[in-house]
Amino acid sequence: MSATDIPVDHEADPKPNIAQHAILLLAVCVIGLIGNTVATENTLLEGAAGLAVLYVISMIGLVLTNYVPFKLPSVAWISLVGIIATLPWTPGSPWVLDKVSHVNFLTLATPCLAYAGIAITGREIEIAKHSGWKIFIVAVLVMTGTYLGSAIVADLFL
Amino acid sequence: MNSTRDILLDWRLHVSVLVITIIAEAIGIRKVEIGIGAILFLPLLYAFVLGLAVNPNVVKAARAWMGQREVRAASPMIVIAIMPFIAKFGTIIGPSMEQIVAAGPALILQELGNLGTVILAFPVAVLVLGLGREAIGATFSVAREPNIAIIADKYGLKSPEGAGVMGVYVIGTLFGTFIFAILASLLSTSGLFSVEALAMACGVGSGSMMAACTGALVHSVPEMEEQILALAGASNVLTYATGLYMCIFVALPLTEKLYAIFGRKAATPTATRE
Repeated sequence: MSATDIPVDHEADPKPNIAQHAILLLAVCVIGLIGNTVATENTLLEGAAGLAVLYVISMIGLVLTNYVPFKLPSVAWISLVGIIATLPWTPGSPWVLDKVSHVNFLTLATPCLAYAGIAITGREIEIAKHSGWKIFIVAVLVMTGTYLGSAIVADLFL
Repeated sequence: MNSTRDILLDWRLHVSVLVITIIAEAIGIRKVEIGIGAILFLPLLYAFVLGLAVNPNVVKAARAWMGQREVRAASPMIVIAIMPFIAKFGTIIGPSMEQIVAAGPALILQELGNLGTVILAFPVAVLVLGLGREAIGATFSVAREPNIAIIADKYGLKSPEGAGVMGVYVIGTLFGTFIFAILASLLSTSGLFSVEALAMACGVGSGSMMAACTGALVHSVPEMEEQILALAGASNVLTYATGLYMCIFVALPLTEKLYAIFGRKAATPTATRE
């Protein structure tokens, strides 16, 4: 079993560079656009404008991930760019908001989960089988625990 | 994915995802009422199942369509595919900044609620199921990539702790979106918690799990959509930023301490150190 078969060791995979990211992200946005057109009442043109804005936000986030000296995950940078672009006192934020309002947030997650389903490796299936029902129970409790724990604490302080 | 040309050679992967997305969105959101509440089936859940259905490692017949090349190429695509979603989430947080600042203390303190993994899962893992040191890796966190890195760094992935974190990671990858969608729909219809609290709890530091969780919540309480998305998104960003440190300095030492008290001293037969 070679190192690349270890499912979470993404560091071992050659990471796409910025140019490849730009192409792959474009492919993802096209898929998202078609999904958005199927799922919502928004026209193809409205969705395309919205996704173009989201594409630019994501690319700025990726550039920041690569060139800012301290390390944050790319998703943290991208959400930060999205936040700053739409703060009430940011110039042009109503325009950004108007464009992205034609893109359904949940639809954008659909292609991601399709990739996740295809990415499951033979080794991961082996781990699931080998760890068996005990780990399954523990995992369900772990997820329930973090959800309930956060909800209880948040409820106390709201 | 060594060259840009390689990307084009993965066209079967992207075409599959496109077709899956169209099918999943065409089916749309379905609601199933059960006794204590309602469970929502979301397009992203169908997409995951359909992804598994064309995965050659899961369904042998799928080998005619794609092979290990596409499976390998799909892995880095998960992060890229979640990027427009995360960007959209950012644009939901921005306009609600005032509300988020107002919810600030609750938002920050609920990060401590992530210790719920230890409180709920550790006793069952050790005292009921009789797990050994796997329980440490399995229960100190929600076992996403940064958490695996912590365990890999401290114990190595071939250790019992490593087996524990990998086991929960894999189950989380396979069933996490379903579990969070079910939790969110049940709790939001139960009326036990405020919707704002449930929204903050959705930010567990995984884009796909947050998507499933907020999707279910928004569908149950559509009139609060903006607020739910803003709070969940803010909480998720906070978890990205603080989660690693919480795990290293609080959750993992706590789990170790608990194991020293309640755990068994001998190595388990399933995963020995040597």
